[in-house]
Amino acid sequence: MTVALYRLFLRTIARRGRLAALGGLGLVGVAIALAVRGSDEADAGASFVNGFGLVVVVPVVALVFASAVLGDTQEDGTLVYLWLKPVARWRIVAAAALAVATVVFPLVGVPLVVAAALTGDGADLIVGTAVATAVGLAAYSGLFLWLGLRVRRSLAVGLAYILIWEGFVARAGDTASRLAIRSYTRSVLSAATGAEFELADVAQPWAVVVPIVVGLAALALATFRLGRQDVA
Amino acid sequence: MVVAEGVSKWFGDLVAVSEVSFSVGPGVTAVLGPNGAGKSTLMRVLCGLTAPSQGRVRVLGRNPRTDLGLRRHVALVPQQDSVFEVLNVLEFVRLAAVLEELPDPDAAARRALALVELDPDDRRPIATYSKGMRQRAKVAHALVHDPTVIVLDEPLTGLDPRQRLHMIDLFQRLGAEGRCVLVSSHVLEEVERFGSRVLVIAQGRLAAQGDFRAIRDLMNDRPLRVRVRAEPARALASRLVETGCAVGVRLEDDRTITVDTDDVQRFRRQVAVLAREGGARLLEVVPLDDDLESVFRYLVERR
Repeated sequence: MTVALYRLFLRTIARRGRLAALGGLGLVGVAIALAVRGSDEADAGASFVNGFGLVVVVPVVALVFASAVLGDTQEDGTLVYLWLKPVARWRIVAAAALAVATVVFPLVGVPLVVAAALTGDGADLIVGTAVATAVGLAAYSGLFLWLGLRVRRSLAVGLAYILIWEGFVARAGDTASRLAIRSYTRSVLSAATGAEFELADVAQPWAVVVPIVVGLAALALATFRLGRQDVA
Repeated sequence: MVVAEGVSKWFGDLVAVSEVSFSVGPGVTAVLGPNGAGKSTLMRVLCGLTAPSQGRVRVLGRNPRTDLGLRRHVALVPQQDSVFEVLNVLEFVRLAAVLEELPDPDAAARRALALVELDPDDRRPIATYSKGMRQRAKVAHALVHDPTVIVLDEPLTGLDPRQRLHMIDLFQRLGAEGRCVLVSSHVLEEVERFGSRVLVIAQGRLAAQGDFRAIRDLMNDRPLRVRVRAEPARALASRLVETGCAVGVRLEDDRTITVDTDDVQRFRRQVAVLAREGGARLLEVVPLDDDLESVFRYLVERR
């Protein structure tokens, strides 16, 4: 039954237009990586992975798919067909999360790792990119899946979080930056490559553990929410 | 089988359902009321999609809001047209069968689709379906697990007359099998076809309940306002009052009067006779509030 839900969610979120647009974003990354390749600047490859991959591609792609997976069913009124079934709520959320993971990990992970390799900055950067991308996707996907259930305009709210909170407020100080997933993914990359970024000072293993815990906690919240919310 | 005790539901300042109490058993029960009367909200409360702000709902003796196991015995056909657009009709109904953990979901889905006369081998996505076909797909989705309590919110909208008859026949069969079938509608004629028990909901309140014939009589007995044009109107007006055919007459102009009557049948029989007796030429008789809205308004005010 979880498999049936998983298949349903996968089919509803994996729309061709969405996949093409966001797959294109990954290809842009690969193109930039080729341009970075010749650069003499220290840590150019890591800066690119951080500035483009971790700041833009990872959160935006996670937002688009994760906020839609349950959020869209709530918006268009199809949630009722699942909600009224004698299915444990955690199964619905788990199936939705798995469907999102199935889409976003290949869609984001492959082009970013390929791009990291193409910069020619070595194995450390490739490993750092892979781990940072994975923990980032876990945290953002969980968070935005819950957000999709919680608010109506989840895409706008999610973008505001990425641009205003993570991009602006979180840079103001240590406490605020601890509340931005970006500083954890950045710390992972920094630890792997030795590159220096601002606000990349979360110690290992916390930089890996915290985002994963955040993602799972958000899924638990989504389960709780699904059981108690009103359904149209 | 379905019991509501003093159920109210409000959203902020808006009261959608107000102090509704009833108890329905096996068979078809129609929930009749104009658009915006609170029928959909009431049905959502009955299915547990939202908790009542006040009062208590019991379905088969259990709480529909919190009892996950109860959902094996309950089904809802929601009002909205939306379905999972990417699925075809067999996949859509099969999904319900799988989520209900039926032993043979495929056979169950085909059986349910046969009930509503949809082709299970139609491979087109439901996105391409007309409103009527979607409506039937939703009914099949709801019936696949053989529920005991079936709640249908405006299931006849978008169906053509033949499909309507077929659907009504299906509801009656389900009711005759001992299931509790609650069907909402804002169309009086539809409800008349169900020939069943009726709950009349207006302005969020239970305005009347009972056998359909009783409700219809109640509706026929209500006072009716009629505009009559006659020449000269004054002569007819005085005759109407003298004979007690009208409880009130207002002279609008030389040729027009507005008549309030509480016996429509008698008024209809008498108006032409009285006009002739009064030496007036009858030009036109128009009922002013002979629509469903005014029927409901009357039923609410009567209480």
